[in-house]
Amino acid sequence: MAGAQVEEKAKPSRSILWVARPMLTAARQFGRSLLRPSTIVYPFERLEDPQFRDRVGVGSGMPIGVGHIWDNYRGVHALNIATCISCNLCAFSCPDLCIDMVTVPGGDPKHAKKSPQIDYGKCSYCGFCSDACPEGCLTMTTRYELSVTKRAEMIFSPQKLQEVFDRKLPMNPVRVERPANEDAILLEPPLCIGCNACARDCPTNCITMLDIPKVEAKPGEKVAKRIWKEPVINDSDCVRCGTCISVCPKECLFWGTRT
Amino acid sequence: MSEMWINMGPQHPMTHGLWNLRVKIDGEQVLDVDPEMGYLHRGIEKISEDRHYNEVITLMDRCCYVAGMSWEHLYVLAAEQALHVEPPERAEYIRVMSDEFQRIGSHVMWYAAFVQDIGLMTPFLYGMRDRDLVLDLFQSYTGARMTYEYMRVGGVRNDLPPGFIGEARKVCDWLIDRFVEYDQLCLNSDIFHKRCDGLGVMNAQACIDHGITGPMLRSAGVRRDLRKDRPYSAYDRLEFDVAHAEAGDVTARYLVRMEEMRQSVRIIRQSLDWLEHHPGPVLAQELPRWLGAPYAPVGREGYLLKRNYPKGLGFSAIEEPHGEALAYVVNEGSEHPYRVKFRSPVFANVSAARQYLVGYRVADIPPIMGSVDVCVGEVDR
Repeated sequence: MAGAQVEEKAKPSRSILWVARPMLTAARQFGRSLLRPSTIVYPFERLEDPQFRDRVGVGSGMPIGVGHIWDNYRGVHALNIATCISCNLCAFSCPDLCIDMVTVPGGDPKHAKKSPQIDYGKCSYCGFCSDACPEGCLTMTTRYELSVTKRAEMIFSPQKLQEVFDRKLPMNPVRVERPANEDAILLEPPLCIGCNACARDCPTNCITMLDIPKVEAKPGEKVAKRIWKEPVINDSDCVRCGTCISVCPKECLFWGTRT
Repeated sequence: MSEMWINMGPQHPMTHGLWNLRVKIDGEQVLDVDPEMGYLHRGIEKISEDRHYNEVITLMDRCCYVAGMSWEHLYVLAAEQALHVEPPERAEYIRVMSDEFQRIGSHVMWYAAFVQDIGLMTPFLYGMRDRDLVLDLFQSYTGARMTYEYMRVGGVRNDLPPGFIGEARKVCDWLIDRFVEYDQLCLNSDIFHKRCDGLGVMNAQACIDHGITGPMLRSAGVRRDLRKDRPYSAYDRLEFDVAHAEAGDVTARYLVRMEEMRQSVRIIRQSLDWLEHHPGPVLAQELPRWLGAPYAPVGREGYLLKRNYPKGLGFSAIEEPHGEALAYVVNEGSEHPYRVKFRSPVFANVSAARQYLVGYRVADIPPIMGSVDVCVGEVDR
């Protein structure tokens, strides 16, 4: 097997020069750091500042960092309430259970509109919520400063997240593609009573209630009492949030592969 | 004459984390040692059973806080085998590149902490400075500096951003020059040699008997490296040498780790060359149907169990910066793993402390234990 034997490189010596030689290396580094410092004066110089960002970086020979690809950073979230569809997917995908869906103004009187409220005391900034968001309204920004004096201030309401959005910080540009063979929502027709709950609560309005022919009662048999409508789901609009499954009173919707 | 047990730890500068080394001494002589682990147990294996396959990745970063990427890689390899998923080739090269950058980051962090154990402060600052470049690179494409959450079952989360490859090359050039400087600071120093030569000697047979892996095993003359012996991801398509030494003492471990970093730069350069010319998808298109979106755990109970998803077992072994890590994932056809088990290399390395500490002096314990590269996060999990 190929191998790199490393022991010949170590040559211990007992000369007094071998004590002084590391000091020479350190002195060389010291002189270099006078010209090109390795640290920044943090509150006054910030890496996200565009002017500063162009100045530092490995390219300029300064050992500070790779300043100019900073937009990927997963920091405090930004929420655009206007495009939020209340699908709950961010809350379901959160591994730390730090997202609560709270009511925000803007919904119609029958359905309250709900948007995520994030507890930054628990958040691990993994980005699963922004990956799961089908509308791209919950993204992560480059904001990294989050020092507060009370624990309650760590809980960011949707309005507070909207303020972060309004500051127009650089957003995380990464969008994760959904796999081609996701499960779809299927219907078990004999159980359906046509109650319209799924179509009413669907955040993307991808469910339409279509008329179906009424079943004629055979002699001696009772037909189920129902409204003769059935949900039809548009798979391309569906974001797979499962709201329809959770509101269905008869449990007639389920996950499966459409054939 | 007067023997006594003393505790080094759980809060001791030597331990680099929460664990306790009980030492039986007679004056300066170490007669017996007894490492005690378990202060940092968080039950990661048990929590994993209650999580979605992809959500376990967030825990893997917390396993080892200096080598999170390697542990993510370990887990996703096992999970892919259990779920019958094939990652695209580009994702494999990105993983290898991330692994090697992580190895450099971990070894530089080890260097910084180790020389501080000996009492040298200047190399500590140099090491921390250069590790920051690696963290910056990670941040530029994963979005975080330590807890990356970058790999996914079936690939990686996102592709490399534009301009990354050029920056990574510059970092490689910068680091190669710094490794020379590290050697100048330590190997040229008589103090370093007086402090480290001939300490903590383990011969090859003792290493094998006690399950010691990684740089400690290679420094004793055993040329075992899972990247060569059991290639995973794209390692069989890359050229590199296995660094090894014969002496088995603290200096030999230092030399092996330094050489490994140079080999890592070699691997990174090759994978960057490949990545530059082969664009493509980084996440598999054919995933298990429920792995894409996080589903609402509502509605019909056990809807996943009702449908017969393929079951499977996943086993993976990778060469982590500290040694050989193993993962075992059992997929019983539900959306959560049925059982997850990890083998931490540091646990075996630290458990054999009696073999390489007894007979030396108390003042030798920090350099010897420093050369083991203890990371308590993965010992206790």
